[in-house]
Amino acid sequence: MATGLQNQDGVPENLRKQLAVAVRSIQWSYAIFWSVSTRQPGVLQWGDGYYNGDIKTRKTVQSVELNADQMGLQRSEQLRELYESLAAGESNPQAKRPSAALSPEDLTDTEWYYLVCMSFVFNIGQGLPGRTLANGQPIWLCNAQIADSKVFSRSLLAKSASIQTVICFPFLGGVVELGVTELVLEDPSLIQHIKTSFLEIPYSIVSKKSCSSVGNKINDRDGTCAELDNAILETKLNLVVECEELNMISPNTSSNGFVPNQPAEDSYMVEGIYAGASQVQSWQFRDDEFSNCVHNSMNSSDCISQTFVDAEKVVSAPNGEKGNNHCVLDLRQCNHTKMNSLNLQNDDLHYQSVLSALLKSSDQLILGRHFRNCNKESSFVSWKKGGLVGTIKPRSGTSQNLLKKVLFEVAQMHGDCLLVPQEDKDRNNGIWRPEVDGINWNQGLSERRQRGNLSERFLVLGSLVPSKSKVDKVSILDDTIEYLKELQKRVEELESCRESTELEATTRRKPGDTVERTSDNYGDNNFGHRKKPLINKRKACEIDETESEINCGLVKDSSGDNVTVSMIEEDVVIEMRCPWRECLLLEIMDAVSNLHLDSHSVQSSTNDGILFVTIKSKFKGSMAASAGIIRRALQRVVHKC
Amino acid sequence: MENSTQESHLRSENLVTYDSLYPLYAMALSSSPSRTPHNHHQHRIAVGSFIEEYNNRVDILSFDDETLTIKTHPNLSFDHPYPPTKLMFHPNSTSSLRKSSDLLASSGDYLRLWEVRDNSIEPISVLNNSKTSEFCAPLTSFDWNEIEPRRIGTSSIDTTCTIWDIERAVVETQLIAHDKEVYDIAWGEAGVFASVSADGSVRIFDLRDKEHSTIIYESPQPDTPLLRLAWNKQDLRYMATILMDSNKVVILDIRSPTVPVAELERHRASVNAIAWAPQSPRHICSAGDDTQALIWELPTVAGPNGIDPMSMYSAGSEINQLQWSAAQPDWIAIAFSNKMQLLKV
Repeated sequence: MATGLQNQDGVPENLRKQLAVAVRSIQWSYAIFWSVSTRQPGVLQWGDGYYNGDIKTRKTVQSVELNADQMGLQRSEQLRELYESLAAGESNPQAKRPSAALSPEDLTDTEWYYLVCMSFVFNIGQGLPGRTLANGQPIWLCNAQIADSKVFSRSLLAKSASIQTVICFPFLGGVVELGVTELVLEDPSLIQHIKTSFLEIPYSIVSKKSCSSVGNKINDRDGTCAELDNAILETKLNLVVECEELNMISPNTSSNGFVPNQPAEDSYMVEGIYAGASQVQSWQFRDDEFSNCVHNSMNSSDCISQTFVDAEKVVSAPNGEKGNNHCVLDLRQCNHTKMNSLNLQNDDLHYQSVLSALLKSSDQLILGRHFRNCNKESSFVSWKKGGLVGTIKPRSGTSQNLLKKVLFEVAQMHGDCLLVPQEDKDRNNGIWRPEVDGINWNQGLSERRQRGNLSERFLVLGSLVPSKSKVDKVSILDDTIEYLKELQKRVEELESCRESTELEATTRRKPGDTVERTSDNYGDNNFGHRKKPLINKRKACEIDETESEINCGLVKDSSGDNVTVSMIEEDVVIEMRCPWRECLLLEIMDAVSNLHLDSHSVQSSTNDGILFVTIKSKFKGSMAASAGIIRRALQRVVHKC
Repeated sequence: MENSTQESHLRSENLVTYDSLYPLYAMALSSSPSRTPHNHHQHRIAVGSFIEEYNNRVDILSFDDETLTIKTHPNLSFDHPYPPTKLMFHPNSTSSLRKSSDLLASSGDYLRLWEVRDNSIEPISVLNNSKTSEFCAPLTSFDWNEIEPRRIGTSSIDTTCTIWDIERAVVETQLIAHDKEVYDIAWGEAGVFASVSADGSVRIFDLRDKEHSTIIYESPQPDTPLLRLAWNKQDLRYMATILMDSNKVVILDIRSPTVPVAELERHRASVNAIAWAPQSPRHICSAGDDTQALIWELPTVAGPNGIDPMSMYSAGSEINQLQWSAAQPDWIAIAFSNKMQLLKV
């Protein structure tokens, strides 16, 4: 925990209290202070924060009743601890997390959002906080959950946490960010109100004295609730110190008389003196004692899940419209993962658990061992803009030549593959078809894609089915039904042929396993017609049915002059003829589309068991296969009996 | 073991070259060194030929990083049907019971496992997930889970990824991962993997929740295939991918999907291979058609003009393969034409 606190460079020590006051007064979900990192100038990192949103389980053994604001602070502290402990796991991923009061399962989605925010860093000028700081202007973001990720990089996270409104404004050389799960329309006066009323007053609530008395009953007035009436009463006590501090922290802000209540004047004075003597940057004194004593009270924590009593009554907020924002959650829901699988409505929920699984072992970049740059022994030389003279000769041919061959062509070499897992197989063999989560930015895209796919399929279907009217999808389906009936009849007719030839084929395949490479020697007698040029195809039709039925089993062995591929630039014309069989045309179309060919016309006819196909197509994209590859691929389809 | 037939021709203090009889593509570095009689460390390297025919070959070489020599072993070589699309040694073989032998996996038509002993190689298993036929869709790549070494995930052109339990030689899960061919797969956690595809997306899968996957990146022009994927094992927030016909290396942060955290654009031609440094979370090496291998150090803040590489090496021709092994973090292995080269980092 101590290490965690040390990370918070340049953050005023009582800032968390101020954030607490601010965020609770307007009943928002969280407040974060992003501060400029002292280790990496130019980068905004987590400075401090206060969580005021929904809480699922509260684990503690409580000997004392904490009031609402102590509970809130304690929760924020516990969340920070949890983050630190998750982060600490990095050095030794296998090691168990050190005991933190909370574990990831105990968090609501909003808390998880808050926690993950701790790992973010922003370059100045980038992200919501970064741009706020760069421009010096507040940013009010409505509908944060669907914001473009360029505008708000955490939009996905926000969506899962139902955060809808996020505002950022510059403060104390850093940026204060506030977020809420409701849609709040832009209201500059709200920001002004927060700034002047709560943040820019020196506000030191937890003195060392009051801290050590956590075990005792604490005066309610010690609360972080901004009870302005009380504050006014105390103003004069603090007047001197306050002036000094105001000058220090926010020179441009007009002084403001509303100072929230502070009973422990003596400790306040001490802090005031600190403030007067130090620069903003050196506000690094930690109120360790405070966090320690909260922590100590937690040490014997026995993981009792306790219903969190609505804290509204303690907060004296003018507009209590929010009502029960501190939900009482059941123990049933303790298991975060379980909850996710039940709650399918929120697609992104599961991504959180993926993230949590991954991020438990990684935090911010840790500077690794630096490579010995320009080492004498190294084969590498330091990079120069011009590159090494004379050594770079970008090749004129295809780029990624070998890589593409490995990915696109080796697969084709293996051939005879089932290219698309069939639906029924999915169910039988337990193939999962994960639902792609509808992250907003791509939803439209995938829908469009799906529609495109559908139309494409209809086009293919239309071209496969001999029909008179290929106008609309309904008539394509009608024609298909008609055609299928016809085909079924055909199948029955050919059944006997297939049975006999299959037997033949299997017995033949065993001795010579390399069927595809053997020459067509023994198919020749029966297949003389195949060698003839395509102009003669009419002749083939004249061959009587018995002969072609026998041929059907022998096709495997023919070398396959029956596929011709001609290419003129992007246009590819494929002409095929081969013994007809069930689904062959479909497979051919599949193979064609797998070769990244876009077919714009398909003509097919069957005559006496011989299928004639002419496909006119174009290459899609830049993955042009050679004529030989197309031919081989189609031959493989034909041979797959 | 001492019957080496060939020693590397070219060697210097910082570079060792091996000439093969055929073009090389697949390559793997052993994760654990074995010892020679002289008590030198020897690292096994497997190289796979790329010949556009049925007969291809995988050779096991050994690299001695003290004498800077590469030895071949006539016995340690086997035939592979068509070129292997990927080779990989057991990622954590020190933990296995086998002392002097090593497990090697190869992908192509099937996922195959081989036991590499001192003087021989034995095929262990051929893993075929197709129950209905003897054919299974060809595999484009695979990744061996480091944390759970009994798991291997394969990617296939039939749009699926298959998770194998190699100890029991059974399919643990098969998922239809993408809309199009899956080109590469990478493990992040014991049960979390990511894949890239011809559909242009990077998706993350969690085996605890197979109902969902999450797209964390899509190529800017729809349907530009993503060819390779590398997950930073030192910092799982980051992964890198490359696009077809692109000179970019795209660096992704899984916490902020959709927009890459960085795009490395100093290659002068398309990139073919990427590998994260095994011992540093911020370094990545890339190699491409411009014959260069570039080492990049990812800055915390990118300048306005993009990121420059830290150092470079130029090979004689297009670099097709790149491996950076945890067992030898000082060495990067590249393959180009029919050469394999070990470069001192």
